[in-house]
Amino acid sequence: MTTAETTTETPREASALEKVTVRYTINGEQREVEIAPNRTLLEVVRDELRLTGAKEGCGTGDCGACSMIVDGKLITSCLMLAPQADGSEITTIEGVAQDGKLHPLQQQFIDHGAVQCGFCIPGMILAGKALLDSNPAPSELEIREAIAGNLCRCTGYTKIVEAIAAAAD
Amino acid sequence: MTTYTTVGKPIPRVEGTHKVTGNSTYAADVQLPGMLHCKLLRSPYAHAKIVSIDTTKAAAHAGVERIVTADDLPEFEARYMSNRAYNLLAGEEVVFHGQPVAAVLATDATAAEEALELIDAVYEELPAVFDPLDAMRDDAPPARAPVGEIDRSESKGHVTVEVEEEQSDKPSNVVSQTKFSRGDVEAGFAESDVVVERTWRSAMMHQGYIEPHATVASYDPISEELTIWTATQGQFFVRDQISRMLRIPETKIRVIGTELGGGFGGKIFLTQSLAAVLTRITSRPVKLVFSRSDDLVGANPAGQCVVDLKTGMKNDGTVTALQTKVIYNSGAYPGAPVVIGAILIGGYYKFPNLEIEACEVLTNKVSVGAIRAPGAHNVTLAIESQMDMMARELERDPLDVRMQNAVEAGDEMPSKAVYSSIGLKECLKAVQDSEIWRDRNERPATPGKRRGVGIAVGGWLGGLQPAGAHVELNGDGTLNVIVGSNDITGTNTSFAQIVAEELAVPLDMVNVVTGDTKTAPFAGMSAGSKTLFTVGRAVKAAAEDVRSQLLGVAAERLQAKVEELEWKDGVISVGGDAEKSIKFRQLAGITTGFGAQYPPVIGRGAISARQQAPGFTAQVAEVEVDEETGEVTLLRWGIAQDAGFAINPLSVAGQMQGGATQGMGIALWEEMLHDEGGRLINDGLLDYRMPTALDVPNIETYIVEVPSEDGPYGARGVGEPSIIPGAAAVGNAIEDAIGVRVAEAPFTPERILRAMGKI
Repeated sequence: MTTAETTTETPREASALEKVTVRYTINGEQREVEIAPNRTLLEVVRDELRLTGAKEGCGTGDCGACSMIVDGKLITSCLMLAPQADGSEITTIEGVAQDGKLHPLQQQFIDHGAVQCGFCIPGMILAGKALLDSNPAPSELEIREAIAGNLCRCTGYTKIVEAIAAAAD
Repeated sequence: MTTYTTVGKPIPRVEGTHKVTGNSTYAADVQLPGMLHCKLLRSPYAHAKIVSIDTTKAAAHAGVERIVTADDLPEFEARYMSNRAYNLLAGEEVVFHGQPVAAVLATDATAAEEALELIDAVYEELPAVFDPLDAMRDDAPPARAPVGEIDRSESKGHVTVEVEEEQSDKPSNVVSQTKFSRGDVEAGFAESDVVVERTWRSAMMHQGYIEPHATVASYDPISEELTIWTATQGQFFVRDQISRMLRIPETKIRVIGTELGGGFGGKIFLTQSLAAVLTRITSRPVKLVFSRSDDLVGANPAGQCVVDLKTGMKNDGTVTALQTKVIYNSGAYPGAPVVIGAILIGGYYKFPNLEIEACEVLTNKVSVGAIRAPGAHNVTLAIESQMDMMARELERDPLDVRMQNAVEAGDEMPSKAVYSSIGLKECLKAVQDSEIWRDRNERPATPGKRRGVGIAVGGWLGGLQPAGAHVELNGDGTLNVIVGSNDITGTNTSFAQIVAEELAVPLDMVNVVTGDTKTAPFAGMSAGSKTLFTVGRAVKAAAEDVRSQLLGVAAERLQAKVEELEWKDGVISVGGDAEKSIKFRQLAGITTGFGAQYPPVIGRGAISARQQAPGFTAQVAEVEVDEETGEVTLLRWGIAQDAGFAINPLSVAGQMQGGATQGMGIALWEEMLHDEGGRLINDGLLDYRMPTALDVPNIETYIVEVPSEDGPYGARGVGEPSIIPGAAAVGNAIEDAIGVRVAEAPFTPERILRAMGKI
């Protein structure tokens, strides 16, 4: 038998860090918020800006549920520190529908039965949007590559791939 | 054949827009004023005595409001302590790596997490055991103090089986076992032309829902009311359990099953009780959200299983005898799917002789919960691999021998229960006709690789639970449907279809609401492939009730007999006479308006479910194996499944594709790996490898419809079967490709190369 003690390293003093101000253009709206600099973009968007469409599925950039488009590029917001996105233009799932109308991708996801539990869907739609914004006529393989960083546990991807392909038509 | 207007159509989900715009509320999205965030300190050891826990430093950390250990918790009756849910925080002993020992409550999640590192917990390690076979040895250390009575209330939600389990009387890690027998296995093997005997292993794996466990609980000490927003498949089950645990009347508990980010059997009752206790201690709302690591280390995954199986077959392809020992590793608390495994392993084919023994063994791993079709994929890997191996030995077609021996309505299961109408043969027929199966010997392999096609079947008996539903006619003639079942993947759309069908109204006139436990009629958990099968029947009954109430009002109003009335396109008339007719909307007016002469139309549906409707599937997999690296690529996949009647073929196909994909994960990638001390090594989604869009081929679906006897319109549960045969189908395809059999899933490159004798 051994006696052991858990390690007691000095913790990160997050609460003691001096706050910084970050400014985003998020879904077309100017927002400014004061935050501790070690907070992730996902935390700030969800907890401070109260846009909870982006989800945390892993916190380590492996599942894609937190995907956002920052300055035209698809990122996993759980891995981006909030100050890194200072001054950026950000699109979250809440900004995809325009003028009270669903984006064609959103409509195709519904029509193709690509939505089950829905937790991965905000990230999936943004991944699909980032793809179609740069490649309006992707092949099936290109679609699969574009969403390979977005895990879905419900659908087996077939209907999601079909939905993105249909939105490209 | 009856023609329907709304059911049987592939209708997109009626509530789909919330989920594509980010407007659905999942439990982790709930934020309340004054809310405390909870983080759990987890044991670094798999089995240890807790010597002391010093929280002084952590309590002083900025933002920390309270630290709770087992000493602060209410005590529960000993008879409940075999239930993991009652073991909120470990007291004297930790029995698995990752077991919570302290809860930190802070004003924000970061502060709570930081404080965890400041807690001084001292442990004294105890001997531990991890492999179920080791744990069964007479000299094995006990995984934990003996458990008393086994509380199986949760597992009953997934499958209904009328079988008594034997509990061991002497102290042992084997906590329960089940035995079935039929005929004389020795005589059966003696008349066999081929006998195959192998040991099959399948790994501990995780349900893999993308939303980690999450609960927000809020207690008001003045009114003594407890409200819980939570990610659960069974809000009424949560309410009942909390009431029993904390002795709070059910009238004082409101459980709100929020939108659920996947459950697959793993999200029933885990975080809710602790959150409830913590909000009662602090009188402040408490949010408990698992990180992915929390979820992989400390939730309730699917257990590891070892199956020794001996099977025989005659030259003409007839099966003769089956003898097996099925061992489930249930982790540190009982709860493995022993009985269902014992039934299914001998339940697909007409073995005249069988001897089945199944048991569950306690070890110092995290305790298991349900997975989609709990226990089924493990035993199916064994039986479906051996069916192929026997057919191969006898040079018979693997699909033909299955067809020849497949169970049908009237056949007995090993438990002696009798199958009602089932569609196993029809599923086999459907894959037989598929292109993947038909041209299986014709497609050339990629240079340097070998190609193969495999087939396997699976079945699920289905859960049963009573259910209720209300359908109410609104003043404008539209309809509200109120149910208590948590909709995960589209059951509410199917309910809307049922009501639209029964009342002959357009779908957009029907609105389905999932109420909470204070407002909705009772429903069982959304588990066991039974939501549509049971709640769907209640919804249908409620719609029929509305129909008869409306006919009664119309008959009086039109001065006619009910039997003279015609119901068409929202108009009720006497024999089709336009002069003597009344519109749906007018009926609504005279039952809800000021001074209305008739009472409001409120349809009630309440059903008990006694007869299961087992669902079968047959799947074909086409793979390529790289003989140099041992890597397997999935090229094509086809799944046939008996839905009884597909109320919504779009949802049914989605269930089939999703489950098949989880089966692929079990076959090739998913395995929770532990070090020598029983600590989970792959506690993130990079290393716990689930199928991505690039791993999964396009999945073809063939919906088979053999009507069930009791389900609405003949429907049967469709959630579970699809996950079951994936590993066996892939294993069979691998042998078809390279002539080598791998007996342990997942079939990793290493295991394949080892089986090939290359390493």
